[in-house]
Amino acid sequence: MAKEVEIPAAESKFVIECLRQNLRLDSRKFDEFRSVEIELGDDYGDVTVTMGKTKVHCRISCTITQPYEDRPFEGLFFISTETSPMAGPQFENGNNTGEDEVLCSRIIEKAVRRSGALDVEGLCIVAGSKCWAVRADVHFLNCDGGFIDASCIAVMVGLLHFKKPDVSVSGEQVTIHPVDEREPVPLGVLHVPICVSFSFFNPEDAEENIKGESNSEICIIDATLKEELLRDGTLTVTLNKNREVVQVSKAGGLPMDALTLMECCHKAYKITEAITDQINNVLKADATARNQYAAILSSENARES
Amino acid sequence: MTESLELRPITFHPDVLARIAPELSMQRHLSLGLRPSLRSFEEFRNVEISDGGLSFASNADIDRKGNNILGSNVLKCGKTMVVTSITGGIVEENISGSRVDDESTESSNRADRLSRFAQVHPVVEVERGRVGAPTDEEMTLSQRLRDCVLHSGLIPKKALDVAVGIRSTDSEGISSILYPDEEENTISSGLKSRRKWSYVLYAKIQVFSRDGPLFEICWNSLIYALKTTQLPRAFVDERTADLKIPVSMRGRSATFRETFDIICDASKFQPLVLNEENVAFASNFAIIDVDPETELPKDEDEMQVDQGGSVLLADIQGEAEEASVFSTISIISSDAGRLKHFKVIGGGLNASMEHLKKSLNLAKLRASDLSAKSSSGDR
Amino acid sequence: MISAQTGVLDQVDGSCKLQCGETTVICSVTGPIEPKARQELPSQLALEVVVRPCKGVPNTREKLLEDQIRGVVTPVLAKYLYPRQLCQICFQILESGEPEDEYNVKELNSCINAAYLALIDSGVALQSSFSSVCVSVLGSNNEILVNPTQEQLIKSDSTHILALEVGSGGKKIQNVLLIESNGDFTEEIMFNVLSRAEKACVEVALELRKAVEDKIKRDFIWKQ
Repeated sequence: MAKEVEIPAAESKFVIECLRQNLRLDSRKFDEFRSVEIELGDDYGDVTVTMGKTKVHCRISCTITQPYEDRPFEGLFFISTETSPMAGPQFENGNNTGEDEVLCSRIIEKAVRRSGALDVEGLCIVAGSKCWAVRADVHFLNCDGGFIDASCIAVMVGLLHFKKPDVSVSGEQVTIHPVDEREPVPLGVLHVPICVSFSFFNPEDAEENIKGESNSEICIIDATLKEELLRDGTLTVTLNKNREVVQVSKAGGLPMDALTLMECCHKAYKITEAITDQINNVLKADATARNQYAAILSSENARES
Repeated sequence: MTESLELRPITFHPDVLARIAPELSMQRHLSLGLRPSLRSFEEFRNVEISDGGLSFASNADIDRKGNNILGSNVLKCGKTMVVTSITGGIVEENISGSRVDDESTESSNRADRLSRFAQVHPVVEVERGRVGAPTDEEMTLSQRLRDCVLHSGLIPKKALDVAVGIRSTDSEGISSILYPDEEENTISSGLKSRRKWSYVLYAKIQVFSRDGPLFEICWNSLIYALKTTQLPRAFVDERTADLKIPVSMRGRSATFRETFDIICDASKFQPLVLNEENVAFASNFAIIDVDPETELPKDEDEMQVDQGGSVLLADIQGEAEEASVFSTISIISSDAGRLKHFKVIGGGLNASMEHLKKSLNLAKLRASDLSAKSSSGDR
Repeated sequence: MISAQTGVLDQVDGSCKLQCGETTVICSVTGPIEPKARQELPSQLALEVVVRPCKGVPNTREKLLEDQIRGVVTPVLAKYLYPRQLCQICFQILESGEPEDEYNVKELNSCINAAYLALIDSGVALQSSFSSVCVSVLGSNNEILVNPTQEQLIKSDSTHILALEVGSGGKKIQNVLLIESNGDFTEEIMFNVLSRAEKACVEVALELRKAVEDKIKRDFIWKQ
């Protein structure tokens, strides 16, 4: 039986009292996202995302398979988020039936797969008979809250970075070209959803839940593990750079003011924008580093102006 | 007046002692120059094999219809009985870029060793009187068997290629099946060149009354079963060979060209061609320290069998041996002495060079013994 | 050849990220902790080994790796010190560095070495040091390659892994923990491999010892 993490009463009081005084343990502001560190591996589609102490690794891979019979024009896309005791003793190996684990994998599924972030039609090779199956394996390495936000970033960076081997189809014959023979091709990513999680605290009595003018509810962005364990309610919104809301998840907990939702979305949009830019910069830097001989090998002539 | 107290040593029946103190029982036996199974140190158990008459090709009397077993073996070793049945399927292979070139150039410049060899997919079931998820032992056994078949190069990949025939019906309504390798003239089959199919082999290995480590017994049974394996010929019907299915969905339409049915011909079959020089058999050994402390008091004039040190035991059997042995050696060797697999689990003991050499020699002898069995067997 | 960092994770008692050639693994050790009822051993420390693959879900291949690692680690742990307790060792393969459905030697090799450093980082008592090395034999003149690259590995005729228990500050070989060889080879090749691998194993042990020294220097905070 995996042990739940327990926080001593004194510490939990301290954390809440700090929040009441507008302070967080890691000296962040309430609406400040932890700085995100994105590390790309040698292979395509190998990403490690670090947010504070939270660390998530994502690996994209692909194989050729047969499409579903009722969707002959589409390829397959899976996301797997399995926990292991590596992230902390509260996780059990191969057991993902816990409430948090299910919620986490559901939200990522909704944010990335069901929002159509990956163009599955582009994965089709021969309609009805052959297609690519892309899988994203998310590995939680270290848990300090914000798994949803970090894994979403990791999966998206992975998909943007990944390249699948080129195939050529002539009639019925499908030929797969190994990576060393032909330049592999990137996946079709249609938009980049970014998840931002909000945590709500109600430092007063439960009666305070009846909202009024004097409501002293606290709302913070990107909670750490301790804050996550103490929070009374949570909200995850997923946006992309086009100002579209991809997904909103508010699974029970503390009721919130309807107008706060708008406010949260506004805050989340700023974060989304910043992270999307960061992702693009990281990918661009990686592409140039990989392709340092491109300028020499290119047969293009510089355009005279 | 004091009451006299009598101390008497407790004695146990050998069976009871083996159960409650396996290590002590083991050491007592060793000090007598015997093992709990009453075999001597380097003596193997006898192995009885038969093909069990399970496969569709083994016996014409069996109703061939619905029998999908391609090869089989029943192996008895001591109390343990292993039943292996080989089944198969046909899958389409993906053609990768470098394979488009001619076959001849392909084989010469492919240095990738394992791409020349095929594997089987074994599932080991150790019967323990109830059903349930496979145990760790079963899973590791299956995986080890798979790895060893692949790495030993037992089955050349070519042996599993399917030469697909075509069944055609002429104007009189008589259908005949033509195979590309039988009648070279008739079909220049466009079908064959475009797509490539191959057999996959599955092996179901059932173990009854487990009595010691199983890997070696399962391996030997698998090898015997593969030797009896016959692959059925397969063909497609001419009419379905050029099947087109129009599909339209959400405004798009396409035509699938699919050959859906590859039919197996139960009356015609060919033996599975193995790389004979890579056929090898497995044996296991244990190294155990003889503890002089546990020796029973001996008569003055009796010779001491062993003065401490460690001994090599062949063919581990029984609870007492399994429980008290931590260092094991497992060898797959051909009768010519080519090694295919060698595994030493050190435990806490120092596996000395002499022991390794001795075990390799014994493994080789055992392999030639076992391979003689299969050729002289029930053919 | 080997680069390792310890203490990379902070929710577990010991951790190590180890890179050996093209293979990268991360290992975590938690223990001694309370075991599940069915894991508990009345007189000894129970050991749980979990290997998670880089791609896909864990299957029988990972079970075999777990079994091999357990065979190496079990005799080295001072199990009698922690009766009725559990030690959990988790591996996450970050980069496999070999074709996964055909080989597992490079992963196994890195896992064993990572487990050693992570166990030291966790403070779970060990009876001795251990190290492992992966060797392949290539070509007609039986060239022996230590820690082969992926390209060399797929061309080789046989692959071998050797894990040794090393004592006296990494100078003396005490015991063989695991030898596993696959492929096509002869007795002679194997003994050549073993003597070459033995030397390489001692070198690895010294390298790991260096990593431990650095770690202790860094972790020892009560300096003057």
